[in-house]
This record gives sequence, structure tokens and C-alpha cells, in this order.
Amino acid sequence: MKKIILLLALLLLAIAPFFGQIDLPISSLFNANSMEYKVFFDIRLPRVLLAFLIGGILALGGLIFQTVFRNPMSTPFTLGVASGATLFTAIAIVLGFSTLSPLFAFVGAMMTVLILFGVASRFERYDSSSLLLVGIALSFFYAAALMVMFYISSLQESYEIMRFTMGSLDIVGFENIIILALTSAFLLAVIFNYRYELKLLLTSYEFAYLKGIDVKKTNYILLFAVSVAVGVAVSFTGPIGFVGLIIPHILKTIYKQSADKLIVPIFFYGGVFLVLSDLIARNLGTSSDIPIGVLTSFLGAPFFIYLLIKRKSS
Amino acid sequence: MPLKIDNYSNEILKGISFSLEAGEHLIILGSNGVGKTTLAKVLCGMTPSSSVSIDNITPSKVYGEKRAKLINYIPPKLDVFDEFITVREFLEIGTFNNDLSIDASLEKLHITHLTNKACKMLSSGESQLLLIASALLHDARYTIFDEPTANLDPQKMQLLFNLLKDETTLQSKLIITHNLDLAYKLGYNILFLEEGAVKFYGSNSDFFTQTHLDALYDGSVEKRENNIVVKL
Repeated sequence: MKKIILLLALLLLAIAPFFGQIDLPISSLFNANSMEYKVFFDIRLPRVLLAFLIGGILALGGLIFQTVFRNPMSTPFTLGVASGATLFTAIAIVLGFSTLSPLFAFVGAMMTVLILFGVASRFERYDSSSLLLVGIALSFFYAAALMVMFYISSLQESYEIMRFTMGSLDIVGFENIIILALTSAFLLAVIFNYRYELKLLLTSYEFAYLKGIDVKKTNYILLFAVSVAVGVAVSFTGPIGFVGLIIPHILKTIYKQSADKLIVPIFFYGGVFLVLSDLIARNLGTSSDIPIGVLTSFLGAPFFIYLLIKRKSS
Repeated sequence: MPLKIDNYSNEILKGISFSLEAGEHLIILGSNGVGKTTLAKVLCGMTPSSSVSIDNITPSKVYGEKRAKLINYIPPKLDVFDEFITVREFLEIGTFNNDLSIDASLEKLHITHLTNKACKMLSSGESQLLLIASALLHDARYTIFDEPTANLDPQKMQLLFNLLKDETTLQSKLIITHNLDLAYKLGYNILFLEEGAVKFYGSNSDFFTQTHLDALYDGSVEKRENNIVVKL
């Protein structure tokens, strides 16, 4: 079962760059002067890589948040990191700096992280559910502020903000891919470095503490690493929902192993899921691509409910 | 290297002071809600306090194996978040004892057949035995057991009694319990809490006299031959 899925996933990754508004023959790869060659290397390949890395980061971020908050419903988006990025992108667009919007998005995401940790440091005792509530409060605040941005923006600006909130994988060239690859490497390195602590957190805070772990510090480092990575991801593509929620759950159902063993599979299949979603979005035959965030939610929500029913009934 | 707590108070506990030498065991008694578990959490540092020291080290101020080796707390219920962590994996992550293998610890508790079962799927009695195995593998100088017999059937109760009485792996055991017969048979010193304060701290034989029991338990407990019996 696992091997068949892996084979299908690899096949999908291999064929994904060849399909889109124009389908490319394999022979085009060998002719450096053809238009198809340019489309493949400048547009399709970066896009598939982008989708893969973003999907991986979001899925792994979901796993870490679910572990740290001991709540199967939490994702990086729950803490307001994505909403912060979205709000700041809207601000960039309204101020007329839309070319700088990735930078603004990153600042928005990081500001949210700093606010969260600033608030948490004032708690007398470390308490992850309070942190979660602060994140939810921030999300609502950002949502209201985003409404203000819509209200004061022109029609054109509103449209741009709307498109960002729906998520998009439009990208050209490899520079951004390198940034994302480094971000992914950073996230994976931090998580692997804290693998023992992560496994202890999968039991209980109390148990982890008694084994000598500084639970608060460990949680902060993991949350910080995920927030940075998700901040970078959202700044490139806008918020793409559901990947962080469903991929860890699906992988646990398939592998039936503790989460600390699923770090690499969750990253990989998170990437594959987003590549698949993007492939579908690009090939529905509509005049323009369906926004990727819409598609992940359309695919993810029913499948997630199906999984829950199946698990609860067995 | 004694475990010491010096004049500790919070919302529940009032001016708790006592000390326990390494190698000695202690039984902590007291009615529901009197602060036994609260005291345990203070002692092992989960509720940080500088009133507690072991060999002049405050457990909540150190990290890593240094603290783990000082004191351990075994809760009444197993709490595991991940649904696929197996019994073996659970024991692997908390092992500081080089002289005891995981297999040997499983055998001691008669739960070898559960090795590859997910912790979430264990019955409450089985998970209690797993927790005891984890205490042996953790091997702290002081180990606090919080109601270790609450969910055990008679055979498992006997098994646990023998372990608590004769097992030499653990240097000092602190046992929180409501089972007076167990407390009596173990023969360890008694700490009795009432209204958040230490009401009695002394030898087992001084504690278990009929007049003393009548004063503490309103005549609900009777000493018969070699047993402590709750009158029903």
C-alpha cells in the first residue's frame, strides 16, 4: 500500500511539469531554443518545485503545531501567522508597493510571531492553550483590519488583495525556489535536532518535563521555526489552507506510526498533495487557473470528513 | 543526600516541612483533596519552588539528565497524546537506567505480551503497570507513586505490592495511596496530611494503632490481627 502510493507520488512529480495550458512533449527538453524548453524550465519546473516545497512546509508546520498544542485541529494558520501576512500584503497593495508585497507579508508573519511570544512571556506559567487563544484573538483582529483595507482600497487594489487571499503559485525563475529550499532545509534541520524532545511531547508535557526537558523552551523553538518557515511560504503564495491540517492526519492513518517517525513522509506528501492540487487547477480547461487555495479546500475538506467518519466507525 | 522541603505554602498546602534521607521510603496518606498530588508536583518541580531541594539542588532549576536522575513522579493515569506510540517506544524515551533492559522491566511487570501494543489501547490496569515499568527504567533517586494501585485487580495488586516492598532498583520510594492495608504491610514511615498541613510524620507502628486510627478516620477503620480493614 505504502509502496504503491510512493510510486504514484513519484510518477506524479515526474509528469506534473508537462501538463498545463499547453501540454509539452518530452522531446522539448532537448531543444534549448524552443519555446517549449523555456516554458518547461522557466515556468513549469519552478512552479512544481514551488508547490512541492510550500506543501511540505505547510504540512510539517501542521504536524508540529498539532504536537505542541496537543490539539489535532491546530495549524500555523490558527495562530494568526497567515492572517498577519495577508494583512500586511493588503497594506502593501493599498500603499502602492505591491511589488514589495512578499517582503511585507514576511514582516506581517514575523510581527505576529513576536507579538505572540511577547504576550506569552508575560504569562506567569507556560500555558499552550492561552497562547492558542491569543493567536485566535489576533486572527480576528487581523481579519477586521483586512476589512478596513478592503474598504479604503480601489476596485483594482481590492481585486489584487482578494487574489492574494486565495493563494497563488504563479512564479517565474529559480531565485525564489532557492530561498524556499533553504527555508525547508532550516525547518527540517530544527525539527530533526529536536526529535527526541518532540517524541517526549507526543506523550505529555508532564512526562517530558520529568525526563529533564525544558518544555517551554522546546515548544518556543519549534513554534518559532515553523512560524518563520510558514511566514516565508505565505509571503510567496498567500495563505493556502487545509494542507497543514489534513496531510498529518492522512499520513498517520496510512502509516499508523508515532508522529516523530513521519517527519519526512509528511513533508514529502504535503509537497505531493500541493503539486497534485496545482496540476488539477492548471488543467481544468478554464480560461484562467483556479486559485490553489480554493482547490486544496475543495479536495481537502470532503476527504478529511471521510477520514474522520471512517476512523470513528472502525 | 536528603530530599528536603522547607516551610512551603500555596493555596492548598500550609507550611509543609519535612525531609527524607536517601534510601528511605515514605507513604503519604490523607483524605481526597487534601493536597497529596499538589505536594508531589511541588517536590518534583512541576510546580517550581525554591523550598524544595535534593542534595542542595532545586529540581526545577536544573535540566536534562541531572534533574531526571533526582526525582520522578508516576501519575495515577497514563497520559499519551499520540495514538500510535507503542509500549516499547514509550519505555525507550524515558530510560536512564543502564542496569535494566526494557525487556527485563516488561518481564518484571508481566506485560511482555504488550510490547508492541499502542499505549492508547491499554486498559487502565495495564497502563498502570506500564507506568511502574517506566519508573524502574527511569531510576531516579526519589520516585513518587501517585495511587499506584487504583486500577489493579487482586493478582496485579500482589505483584505491585511485592515490587514496592522488595524491588531494590529504586533508591527511595514515596507512595501516595488510600489503601491503608497496603500502607501498613509495606511498613514504611507515614506522612499524614490534613487540611494541607502535616498532621503526622513518624513510624508505621506509631501510626497504625487503633486509638490513632480512630482519631484520624472517625472510627471507619479497624485494625484486625494483621490487617487494616475499612468497616463497611
